[in-house]
Amino acid sequence: MLSEQRIRGILFYASVAVFFVFLPFVLSSALGYRFDRRNLKFTRSGLIFIKTQPSGANVYLNGKLLNDKTPVTINELLPGRYRIRLELERYYPWSDEVTVEAGKATPLDKIILFLLRPNVKQVNRDRFHSFWIDEERQLVYYINSEENALYKSDLAGERYQKLANLIVFSTSPLKYKVSLERGRILYCNNNQLAVTDINPDDKFGGDSFFVINEPDSEDWVLDAFWHSDGYHIIVVRKGRIDVTEARPRAKAVLLTRLNNKNTTAFYDVRSDTLYFLDLEEAADGNTYDNLYKIELSPWSFPWQDLIKRRHNGTKP
Amino acid sequence: MPGAMSWGIILILVILAALRPVFCAALVITFDFYWIVRTLYLTTLLVLAHQKLRCQKNRNWLADCQALKAGKSWQVLYHLVIFPVYKEGLDILRPSLAAIRDTNYPKDKIIVVMAFEERHQPSRQASEALEKEFKGCFFGYLTSMHPDGLPGEARTKGANATWAAKKAKDFLDAKGITYERVVLSCFDADTCVEKEYFGCLSYHFLTTPDPHQASYQPIPVYNNNIWNAPSLARLVEISSSYCQMIESMRLEKFVTFSSHSMSFKTIVDIDYWPVNMISDDSVVYWKAFIFYNGKYRVVPLYITVSMDVAYSSNLFRTIAVQYKQKRRWAWGVENFPFVLSRFLDNNNIPFLLKVRRAFHLLESHVTWAIWAVIITLLAPLPVLLGGALFHQMPIGYNLPLITGLLLRFTLGTSLVWILLSRTMLPPRPRDVPWFKNIVMVLEWVIVPLVILILGSTPALDAQTRLALAKYMEFYPTEKKRKVV
Repeated sequence: MLSEQRIRGILFYASVAVFFVFLPFVLSSALGYRFDRRNLKFTRSGLIFIKTQPSGANVYLNGKLLNDKTPVTINELLPGRYRIRLELERYYPWSDEVTVEAGKATPLDKIILFLLRPNVKQVNRDRFHSFWIDEERQLVYYINSEENALYKSDLAGERYQKLANLIVFSTSPLKYKVSLERGRILYCNNNQLAVTDINPDDKFGGDSFFVINEPDSEDWVLDAFWHSDGYHIIVVRKGRIDVTEARPRAKAVLLTRLNNKNTTAFYDVRSDTLYFLDLEEAADGNTYDNLYKIELSPWSFPWQDLIKRRHNGTKP
Repeated sequence: MPGAMSWGIILILVILAALRPVFCAALVITFDFYWIVRTLYLTTLLVLAHQKLRCQKNRNWLADCQALKAGKSWQVLYHLVIFPVYKEGLDILRPSLAAIRDTNYPKDKIIVVMAFEERHQPSRQASEALEKEFKGCFFGYLTSMHPDGLPGEARTKGANATWAAKKAKDFLDAKGITYERVVLSCFDADTCVEKEYFGCLSYHFLTTPDPHQASYQPIPVYNNNIWNAPSLARLVEISSSYCQMIESMRLEKFVTFSSHSMSFKTIVDIDYWPVNMISDDSVVYWKAFIFYNGKYRVVPLYITVSMDVAYSSNLFRTIAVQYKQKRRWAWGVENFPFVLSRFLDNNNIPFLLKVRRAFHLLESHVTWAIWAVIITLLAPLPVLLGGALFHQMPIGYNLPLITGLLLRFTLGTSLVWILLSRTMLPPRPRDVPWFKNIVMVLEWVIVPLVILILGSTPALDAQTRLALAKYMEFYPTEKKRKVV
């Protein structure tokens, strides 16, 4: 028993010695200090943290391959500049020169390694000249240029489905927009705006018609947006903004006139708010661009508000 | 005091994590490193203890007793075994008595006392059934019914055992057997001894200097129902066995636990077990330690006594059962004020010995209450609360690395624990499928979860209750041989 207790005593004191001898090294390393064997003193160091997407890349530090792969923390680096090169088979290599500062971490944690040969996959089946993605429902809409028809599929290009034939325009439509409830699509060029029902089961009953068909008009249609109700359309035209019902022969209502003949606009369908740029003359006699908004939700209409007034400019 | 210390350490670390994250991270890393070194040290002790257990397995201790020189005659000894029973049924009690009956030791040297609680009505039928079956098997077979609500008593195991020991004392007096010749074993109701247990105990009793100034502690294993127990419960109980094996190598800290043995003379001298404390198994050691002015020790017996894994019918109830059992064990923290007050009254114990033992007691309970909290919950706090500046510093990146290293190291040592556990298993029962062997290896991956649930929280709970004077009643652990 005595000998066992002696062994235990040796183990105990050895453990105590290991703890107290190595703890300063563990702590100093964790805190970013490096032990200089030549001068027998601790020097403040820094570290580089590398994280890649995907992980597992080989790491070269100043041309020397490290044992660890990404994600990796390279500790105890003396202050200075370091060349980092990351290599992963089938991916473009990444390289840069980074500066390490004493007592600081240099994180390289937003690195994406891109495939040398990305997996390119054809999603469409027929010829098309326009598409857009419905992120919310994970769908892609196509315009088949031969049939002048609208198709949809999932993002993988599967479950391909024809939705509707579109009206033939004198010149190709520039914009296509699906209503919030995905029941209708509007498409327009500078002189024409048409609507097609793409959900035969909805209340509008599967139809195509022109809302605007003014081949000779100079009040060009610049943009158009669906109201959240899927029945009203906000039409941004040269010199004015209208709202109209999406039905044949609907009469447009003027929302506002514009000084800027080529304005840009954005419509937030969640809040039914239209944002647009317009020029306004301020009190100092100069003309400035202002950002305006018009709230078109049934609860706020016809409240108009300027979210950013410059030089006290107001919009009538 | 232990509760205040444990909570104080936890709160200080939380505050530091928010206000001084670098300092907090340095403390956590220090603790992590300490834990790695400690785990390595303790695992080595475990291997040594296991080696000793293995060497002494199947040793014919009775033959060794017979070989002892004259003047150390085992034949003069009597073994008094007390089983304090509360709600345990015949399915638990019968195998415990049968194990004693089947030992390689003359039964005319064994006296058994079945100590029932009078307040538990079904005990009467159980006592009658056992009496009918085992009365003639031993030199003496006594049944005691501990009355409920005796003055000064709480509903504890110690009160029942004390009542039974006093009955046994009357029996010994009537038979003219002196107390010096009686070795007392106080066993949990589910304790099944090995064949050589009494031979081993007699040998150690006869060969230990001042045998009355020592307790004799076998290694508790939980093999009775280990094949049928759920993984979580099994892992916890295996860990408990390992703790006892490790403690058996640290004699200066070794304290009695659960089923153990001692001189009957000593238990009479120290006025039996405490009748109002839950942790009777350890308090009885401290009473003897103080009675003998610090010249009292625990002698490890490298022989196992097998008990039941505590579990219940479903996972949540099993967690609850395990939690309550561990909290009861952690309630051993009540020893600290008990020991401290007795130390102050006793001037015959060397001052340094008092300081060392008090420190050991405090340190073990505080460490129990905080280690899992620090490793699992507090270690990530500096990273979470440290803010942008912390994340620009090397320690912000090194802290998770070192914590991860600790986890990997723990998993590495788990391999040793798995290997050892395999060697300590009883044979697989026929009704248990073979693939349970694989389950019993793979289940070790849930160790971090077990640590999180049952690592520190029962101890922290017990210490908080003690600090708030919310005293616990003895909660008898639910025992199942097999879930039906």
